[in-house]
Amino acid sequence: MIGPPIVFAVDDDPSVRSSLKFLLTTVGLQAETFDSADSFLRKKLPDVPSCLVLDVRLPGLSGLDFQRELAARNIRIPIVFLTGHGDIPMSVRAMKAGAIEFLTKPFRDQDLLNAVRVALDQDRARREQEREVAELRRRFNSLTSREQEVVSMVVAGMLNKQIAAQLGTAESTVKVQRSRAMEKMQAESLAELIIMIQKISSLRKAS
Amino acid sequence: MSSASTSPANIPLKDSIPEAGASLESILCTEELQRRPLRPPDYEKENCALVKLVSALADSPSTIFQTLAETIQAITQCDSAGLSLLTRDGKTPDACGKRFYWPAIAGMWNPHVGGGTPRNFGPCGDVLDQNRTLLFRHFERRYPYLMPVIPAAEECLLVPFYVAGQAVGTIWAIMHSDRRKFDAEDDRVMASLGKFASSAYQSLIHIEDLKFQVSEREKAEAEVRELARGLEAKIRRLVAANVVGIVMGNLEGAITEANDAFLHMVQYDREDLASGRVRWTDLTPAEWRGRDERAIADLKARGSFQPFEKEYFRKDGSRVPILLGGALFEGNGNEGAAFVIDLTEQKRAQEMLQEAQQTLYTTQVELARVSRLTTMGELAASIAHEVNQPLTAVTNNANACLRLLADRHLDHEVLRRAFEEIVADATRASAVIARIRAFIKKAPAEKSELDINEVIQQVLVLAGHELQKKRILVECQLTKTLPLVLADRVQLQQVLLNLIMNGIEAMTAVTDRPHVLWVQSQADESGDVLVAVRDAGIGLGSEVDRLFTPFFTTKASGTGMGLPISRSLVESHGGRLWATANSPHGAAFWFTLPVAGGSPS
Repeated sequence: MIGPPIVFAVDDDPSVRSSLKFLLTTVGLQAETFDSADSFLRKKLPDVPSCLVLDVRLPGLSGLDFQRELAARNIRIPIVFLTGHGDIPMSVRAMKAGAIEFLTKPFRDQDLLNAVRVALDQDRARREQEREVAELRRRFNSLTSREQEVVSMVVAGMLNKQIAAQLGTAESTVKVQRSRAMEKMQAESLAELIIMIQKISSLRKAS
Repeated sequence: MSSASTSPANIPLKDSIPEAGASLESILCTEELQRRPLRPPDYEKENCALVKLVSALADSPSTIFQTLAETIQAITQCDSAGLSLLTRDGKTPDACGKRFYWPAIAGMWNPHVGGGTPRNFGPCGDVLDQNRTLLFRHFERRYPYLMPVIPAAEECLLVPFYVAGQAVGTIWAIMHSDRRKFDAEDDRVMASLGKFASSAYQSLIHIEDLKFQVSEREKAEAEVRELARGLEAKIRRLVAANVVGIVMGNLEGAITEANDAFLHMVQYDREDLASGRVRWTDLTPAEWRGRDERAIADLKARGSFQPFEKEYFRKDGSRVPILLGGALFEGNGNEGAAFVIDLTEQKRAQEMLQEAQQTLYTTQVELARVSRLTTMGELAASIAHEVNQPLTAVTNNANACLRLLADRHLDHEVLRRAFEEIVADATRASAVIARIRAFIKKAPAEKSELDINEVIQQVLVLAGHELQKKRILVECQLTKTLPLVLADRVQLQQVLLNLIMNGIEAMTAVTDRPHVLWVQSQADESGDVLVAVRDAGIGLGSEVDRLFTPFFTTKASGTGMGLPISRSLVESHGGRLWATANSPHGAAFWFTLPVAGGSPS
C-alpha cells in the first residue's frame, strides 16, 4: 500500500525550516527538513508521493545545481523553488528544468501550499504510472519468447496468417499462442493489449 | 774579413757618443790641400760628368744620389764616394736630424749604403760644425765605430751642402791608399758638386714628398675600396636578408632591382620585375602621388628624402601601408635606391593598441558606473536576503497560527512556541537593519581641501566616453578663483558622476533638441560653493517630490538609490542637494558645499 505523502524542505535558515515544517503540518502534511543539499542526498527516500521545497541560495551546492544533480541521479522529485529575491533569468532556468513553482520570499502561504499540492499530485501520478508499467512488464516477462514474438507482431498489425507464415508454423498454433498471451497479459481485447504494450515501450524509451 | 761581408747592419747606429779616440786636430789635414801639387783641371771630363748629372736629375731623380756619387768618383778618381744626409729616424731627411745616413755610395764602400754616423760625433758632424770642407786622415782613429767599415779610409774629403742656407748633409770622396792625395782641385770640384747635391737633395725631398703623397693617396683609396667592399657586402647582406624591401630604379618610375622582401610585400614575382611591369608610379595610389612628387623634389635638391609613410598597391589591388626612404646614386641624377618597410603589422598593432586603449577607457568608465550600481544593487540584494529570511519565517508561522485558529485547534503550547518564534524572527529582522545602518555610518570619509573645478574636470574626463558615445555637448561655466572646499574626493566624484549620468540618461530619449549638459560652479550668496548640473532631458514632471525617496526610480536598470545616496553624501559634508526644473527643458540638480576653514580664502 502507498503511505502518506511527505514534503521535504531544504533551507539553510533554521527559522525558515521550522516555520515551513509548522505551516505544512497545520494542513496535515508530513514534512521533513534539511539544512543542506548534501544532507538531503544522504537520506534514503521512501517510496511515497513526495516533493522538495528548495531555497535557490544554498550554502555549497546552489539550488539550480542541486536540481541538475538530482536529475543526474535519476531522482525524479518535483521541486518548488524559494528565492530571496525575484531573479527572473534564474526562475526561467529552474522552470525549464522542470520546477513546479518559483516563489519569492516571503510568499503567501496559500501559494506554497498550492504548489506543494500540485507537486505531490504530479509525483503520485508518476508513481502510479510507474507501478502500472512495472506490473505490465512483469506480465510481459511471464510470456514465453515465442508468445512475446507473436504479441509484438499482433501489435504491429499483422494477421494470424501472416504471423504463421513469418514464423513458419501453422495458423492454428499462432491462434493458441495469441490467446494464451492475452490471458497472461490480462488483456480483455486487442485494443487493450496494444495500449499495454505501448505503455511498456514508451516508458522504456523515456528511461 | 772581406769588404763585401761588412754589411750596414754591422755599423753601430747608436746616437750616443762612443769613447773618443784621437783628437779631432790629429785626424785633420785640411790645410795640406793648398800645399799639395795641383792636378790640372780636366774641364771636358768635368763638363761631361755635369751634363750627365743634370740629365740624370731630369730623367731619373730617384737615382740622382747614386749618379752623384758615381760622378764624384769619376771626377776625383777616388776609391769611394758618397753622400751623407741628416735624417730624423735614420732614413727620412731632416736638417735637424740626429744621424747621417748614407743613401748612395760609389766605389769600394758601396756595400755600406744604408749605413751612417752620429750627428754629434763623427766626420760629417765635424764638417757641419765647422761649416767648411775638411780633409780627414784615418778618421777611425778618433771614431772607433768606423773601424769595421772597410777598407779603411786613408784620406776622406768631406764637403757640406746646403738647402735654403741650412747644411743638410755632406758629399765625400775617399782614398783607401796613398796611391793619390786630394788637392785643391778636388776641393773645387767637390764644392761645385755640392751645389748639385743640394738640388738632388731638394728633388729627392720633393720625390719623397710625392711618394708619401702617392702612398697616402693609395692608402686612402685602398681604404675607400675596402670600405666600399665592406659596404657593398653589407648592402648585399641587407638586400638578401629581406628584412626590409630594397628597390633600385629611376625617377621616371622604373624599378630595375628589388629584393624578395619587396616583391613579397607587393605580391609580384621576379618575372613581373624582369618584364618591367612593376613600376613604382603604378604601385602608388592616386592620393599619394602628390607626396611622391615632394620626395622627388627633395631627391633632386638634396639627393635623398626623409622617410615617409605611404601606401602601395599589391598585385591584387589591395593596399599595403609602407615606410619609404631613399637616395639617388652619386653622380647619377636619375637613378637611386630606396628601402621599403611593410607597416601592416605595425599599423595593426597600433590599431589594436588604440582599440585596447579605447576599450580600457570604456571599461573604466563602465566599471565606475557599474560598481556604483552594483555596490548599491548588491547592498540592496543582501539587505533583501538578510531581512527576507526572518520575514519568511514570521509569515509562515503567523499563517500557520491563523490556520490553527480557524480550525479551532487551540493547542496553547503549539501556539506559544509559534509566537515565540515570530517574536524572535522579528527581532532578528530589526537587528539586521540596525547592523546595515551601522555599517553605512561607519564608512569613513577622507576629507581634504579640494578645488571643486578640478573635481568637476576629473569627473567629466571619467564620463568622457559616455558623453561622446551619447553625443552630448558639455557646456562648462566654471567660476575661477572659487575658495577650496573640505570634502572627500571620491564621494564628491561619486555625487557629480551620478548627477551627470542621470543627465545623460534623461536625454537619451530626446530627439527634437540638442543634447546639452551644463555644468556650473559659482559662489552662492552665503559664500558656499554652489554646483549645478543641468540637462535638456525629459525633465522631472510630477516626480520631483519622490526623487530622493530610496528605491524610487523611473529607469529600467536603476536602483533608486543614486539620488538618496548623493543627497546623504552632500549632507554629510554640511551641504544641501536639491532639484528644480530646468528652463526651458530638462532638470537641474544643485548642491552646495561649505568652504574649507569656514570662510572664503
